[in-house]
Amino acid sequence: MSPDYIAAQIFNGLASGAFYALLALGLSVIFGMLRIINFAHGAVYMLGAFATYYAAQLLHVPFYPALILAPIAVGIFGMLIEALILRRISGSDPVYGLLLTFALTLVVVNLVRLLAGPLGSPYSVPPSLSSAVDLKFTIYPAYKLFVIAVSIVVCAVVWWFVERSLLGARIRAATENPVLVRALGVDTKRLVTLAFGAGVALAALAGVLAAPTTNVQPYMGDDIIIYTFAIVVIGGLGSITGSVVAGFALGILQTIGAVYYPPIATTLIFIVMVIVIAIRPAGLFGRPESLR
Amino acid sequence: MRPLPIVLVVLGLIALVLPKVIYPLVAIDVLCFALFAIALDLLFGFAGLLSFGQAMFWGGSGYVAAMLVQRAHIDAVLAIAIAVVYATALAFAVGLVSVRRSGIYFAMITLAIAQIEYFVAVQLTSFTGGENGFPMDSRGLFLGRHVDGDVPYYFLVLTVLVVCLALAFRLVNSPFGVALTAIAQNEQRAIALGYRVHRFKLAVFVIAGALSGLAGALFALGNHLAGLEMLDWHTSGTVVMMTILGGASTLVGPIIGAGLYENLSYFVSKTPIGAQTDLVMGLIFAVCVLSFRRGIAGRLLSLSWRKTST
Amino acid sequence: MRIARVIPFLCASAVLANTLIPISPAPADTAPVKIAVITDMSGVYSGLSGQGAVIATKMAVADFGGKVLGRPIVVDAVDHQNSATIAEAKAREEFGSGADLAMDLTNSAAAIAVASVAKDVHKLAIVTGAASTALTGADCNKYTYHYAYDSYALAHGTGASVARAGFKTWYGIVPDYAFGKAMLSDFTAAIAPYGGKFIHADTMPLGTTDFSSYMLAARNAHPQVLALLNAGADTVNSMKAAKEFGLDKQMKIVVGLLFLSDVDALPDVFAGSRITDSWYWNEDKAARAFADRFAAADNGLRPTSVQAADYSATMQWLKAVKAVGSTDADKIVAYLDGRKFDDFYAHHAEWRARDHRVIHDMYVMDVLPKSEVKEPHAWMKIVDTIPADQAFRPASESTCQKTW
Repeated sequence: MSPDYIAAQIFNGLASGAFYALLALGLSVIFGMLRIINFAHGAVYMLGAFATYYAAQLLHVPFYPALILAPIAVGIFGMLIEALILRRISGSDPVYGLLLTFALTLVVVNLVRLLAGPLGSPYSVPPSLSSAVDLKFTIYPAYKLFVIAVSIVVCAVVWWFVERSLLGARIRAATENPVLVRALGVDTKRLVTLAFGAGVALAALAGVLAAPTTNVQPYMGDDIIIYTFAIVVIGGLGSITGSVVAGFALGILQTIGAVYYPPIATTLIFIVMVIVIAIRPAGLFGRPESLR
Repeated sequence: MRPLPIVLVVLGLIALVLPKVIYPLVAIDVLCFALFAIALDLLFGFAGLLSFGQAMFWGGSGYVAAMLVQRAHIDAVLAIAIAVVYATALAFAVGLVSVRRSGIYFAMITLAIAQIEYFVAVQLTSFTGGENGFPMDSRGLFLGRHVDGDVPYYFLVLTVLVVCLALAFRLVNSPFGVALTAIAQNEQRAIALGYRVHRFKLAVFVIAGALSGLAGALFALGNHLAGLEMLDWHTSGTVVMMTILGGASTLVGPIIGAGLYENLSYFVSKTPIGAQTDLVMGLIFAVCVLSFRRGIAGRLLSLSWRKTST
Repeated sequence: MRIARVIPFLCASAVLANTLIPISPAPADTAPVKIAVITDMSGVYSGLSGQGAVIATKMAVADFGGKVLGRPIVVDAVDHQNSATIAEAKAREEFGSGADLAMDLTNSAAAIAVASVAKDVHKLAIVTGAASTALTGADCNKYTYHYAYDSYALAHGTGASVARAGFKTWYGIVPDYAFGKAMLSDFTAAIAPYGGKFIHADTMPLGTTDFSSYMLAARNAHPQVLALLNAGADTVNSMKAAKEFGLDKQMKIVVGLLFLSDVDALPDVFAGSRITDSWYWNEDKAARAFADRFAAADNGLRPTSVQAADYSATMQWLKAVKAVGSTDADKIVAYLDGRKFDDFYAHHAEWRARDHRVIHDMYVMDVLPKSEVKEPHAWMKIVDTIPADQAFRPASESTCQKTW
């Protein structure tokens, strides 16, 4: 196997890691801010893909505008769910959040199946991105490079926002000590809803990016949710940096695994997770006090 | 007026007539899931450990029992016993790794290990039949006798369930059970009081694993089939739903939850909206988690208390 | 919160009411002849089979006259939801309450489970929608017939046809489970006589969504053929990935398992692929006549090969029941075994006695690009016909341990 080939496969890993990073980031944001483990994250990813499809079918919205509009639409839907349903169990054991979002997943996935049918809905790579780029060591699909770029940019923006901006600081403070923050006059409820909407929008964005190259069907988020959980745990629950790093790293690891021993490719993430938790219980970048 | 004996009597009456009023094979499934859910309740309702990988015991033991009866032609009782030993050993090994964590981390480790077991089962196609499943010609001989009729098998499983339920009650009301509840409520305090917390958690995880394995073996033999879905994480999720729906930390709640889920699925599948079972169950479950978190049994059992804490 | 207090009572009474509603079996004396169509009504195979299978079966019953041996014929639609456990339980329940035939059984795990039940209760099961050759091999039994396609027929049709045309170097994308491995071994055997061989085959986990690494590897290997030996969503995802890496322009793409319903859903994805199937709605006048009647009953959709097989098998079974004078499975098996027949679906067909594989002609087809499609749903062009005696595994090579 030549170094050029391995380098090309690493790019494949970055592309698949791009999705994992966005999804893990969204999940971490939601857990960090709401202490809810959002089981519906896979369903939201699926909604993002379907929103893109229906936007194209019914409203003739092309791909680039969909990249912005679909996550916003799904994010708003997420905020409604948070305000109307999830808020009722705020303050409870995170387990209830997991269970409620698990139930919501069943409902959402089956409603979409009723609407769109169980087989795929057609969506292709936009013509402007369907060429290949000469990267010297390989000829590589332009669309994949686009996905990598979008993901890196979005992750960087979110990281900056959460770690460095004033609003991000407020949100972080609201998580750690909501009472005090409210006493200081900040509307924590609205911050929480916004954070949930943002986390959901990130997952939906991953769905939009997935639509051209993945079969758009109601169950497309089904397995991806457990991989996302594993990645978030590896990176460290609640850690933005951890989610992004673990997302890209595991994307690469999974792809390289697929090169050498394909049957184990998808189980690799779980094996790594078990090892990481055994050695560093809070994950690679997690803080030990976030362990309960 | 104590509600628990009344609930038990009502459940007992329903259990006695169940195979006459619904299709016996479904009744058998109800009992097996009930035992499975009781096991999860011990783990989650009493010890506070949410496992999202119980399917590894249910499915693993199911396959072991099915393969032993179908291929090795050994007595079904012995096959079930070996299947339970398998589950116990697996639970011990998994427990050693996982009980040191809690909350979401514990859930994730159990899920991950269950996925690894699933992968192994798919790889060993010649052994397990892979995705085609492992059908059985007959349930095998139970201490030399045939129990191929559905109704006799139902009562066999019912007996096992009643015995296990009684043992579970004894367990939670024993010093061991009380210590578990104390650990679940405040682990630091329990440690300060000198309890070897991890040993307790490991013990309850092993017991829950063994019971789940027993339930799975009975289910596989009951259905003449061990299938990959027994190892699928959706099954782990289903049993969690049943337990919460019925009411965690009540032991009878899981029975109600299993009964409700299986009956509702069966009932809905006979109606024109039959294909939407998951949708209906999802809605019911969501309503349940939102409105009464202690589940049906939790509410029923708390009715006699003057001060109802919501 | 008074309402909340009532909820537990309501739930408890729902449980009670549920368990006390008797679901009793039909009385056996006036028994109608019952056919249970057990299939996937709402999941990934619902387009291939599903409601259309029930419609096709009912059409056969109606065309037969609605009665046989003086008894009315009833068709039960049963959803197994792609669960072998549910299929098995429902089959037992149907047979237990008077069903004489289990039909369709799309999904190999469900088919194998129900075949086992059929053997147990001595009633017939005719499988039209499953690919596993185990049904006429390791899991064969007296009471099960495998009617439509199987992985051997698919592989030998497509494989031989493409290899014969000079495509010798093959690259396999194989899902890591029994079906995939069977397809790989069947394809390998099919292309060998024409000098074809697999230079490499990647086996990846079922449900893989990202095929990029495999497509890159395939591109590097420069085969003449890319063989996608998977099914369902995996096939769509691997096709999309193949196109992303430009493989559809560099090599021939062959899809192991593909049906009309898949192309209906995603025509652009599959254009240009070569496949094998047991029947095509526009293959000749008789087929078209059936397809027109079916479309009238099913919203203009054209029947898939599995749905047509359901009609054909039902009609053949009813004729056998009439000829034998009873629904007794043993008598029907004795009547059918070795019998040759021919209808709009199965040409040069025979109920093969050796292993209960029903043989008939198979067709190699190309999926047309949208520009060449002349009317709705006319996606295919037949390029080759495989005669019945060559399409399936020869009786001499069957691994069925015949116990009857």
